[in-house]
Amino acid sequence: MEEMDLDLTGRLMADMDPKLLEFLQTKVNSFVKWDLVRFFHDNPHTTDTAKNIARYAGRSVETIQAELAELARDGVLEENQLGEMTVYSLAPDRHTRELLARFVRASDDRQFRVKAIYHIIRGTRR
Amino acid sequence: MERVKTGIPGLDEMLWGGLLPQTANLVEGAPGTGKTTLGMQFIYHGIVACDEPGLVLTFEEFPHQYYSDANSFGWDFCQMEREDKLRVVMTSPEVSMADLEQVGGRIESMVQEIGAKRILVDSLSHFERLSKDPAHLRSIVYGFVNALKREGLTAILTRESVALLGEGGGTDDALAFLVDSYVLLRYVEIESTIHKALLVLKMRGSNHDKGIREYEITPRGIEVRAPFEGREGIMSGSPRQMADSFVQAFVRR
Repeated sequence: MEEMDLDLTGRLMADMDPKLLEFLQTKVNSFVKWDLVRFFHDNPHTTDTAKNIARYAGRSVETIQAELAELARDGVLEENQLGEMTVYSLAPDRHTRELLARFVRASDDRQFRVKAIYHIIRGTRR
Repeated sequence: MERVKTGIPGLDEMLWGGLLPQTANLVEGAPGTGKTTLGMQFIYHGIVACDEPGLVLTFEEFPHQYYSDANSFGWDFCQMEREDKLRVVMTSPEVSMADLEQVGGRIESMVQEIGAKRILVDSLSHFERLSKDPAHLRSIVYGFVNALKREGLTAILTRESVALLGEGGGTDDALAFLVDSYVLLRYVEIESTIHKALLVLKMRGSNHDKGIREYEITPRGIEVRAPFEGREGIMSGSPRQMADSFVQAFVRR
């Protein structure tokens, strides 16, 4: 019975734009990443170090360092060397930027947020 | 000589027509004196009146704060960004410095993409955390200022002053030697009311108005008004009536 409930919940929660669901499950699969992609969406011209981005985001550098690197690995951000500094910026790829913009717009909707939170929590339990 | 107009009523007259092109211009003042507003007005005027796109380089405030502040004066910075006439970039002094040192860095690319002619750097005070050594700091800012000029930009650089009233220069006034012009914004107490005073302290390569003028932040932006008359000691923050101080000077003898 519990399994059936979970299955029903899962199906209800998966009722969203498939591209956004994939984006959520494969790229923005943590709350910190959600914060970070929102930050870069709002500040698309920012290029900065993990330390400074942590300051802007009100997080510790230890919290965001690995998440930034993963977002860069997954093509949402770009990671570059600037002298001795490793800096991050939003990937210039138009498709990714459009997907991110759709994700951020969708996040303004409470129902979408509930579903997104569900998927992130499920993802972190796996 | 060609001038870069700020579009601020009264200020361009004080600057004998405006700033000189490809120069670095320091605007210093206490919190709330309108440094950022002055800089935004300079950027806005460049875009709408002179067809000169601009950049805002911010080291603290988020871009949405600029959009919101600009909007309160009727300046639609969001629309200007959409039209590729403006870029509001939040970054840090160390990254922008290293970026400008590179050939084809992001700031250089942005300048070329939108054809930027003006820049607001808000604020220069943040460079102070890069070095405790005044000579090293001066060298860093010197490189930064020269990079902006190399890109053909006319820059307004803001600097925070700690003191609310009176004397309150930055921790290192050597920076004032690096810039081409130096505008001071001060609070002044006159008869228990706070007024705002503006002084062009220096303008390299040009004459300028030496008077201390009152200014106001109006719903249309900054407007520089008439000089303070009949008073002295304005920049001390607590001016005296000239007649009073004249009498005092003789009474004391």
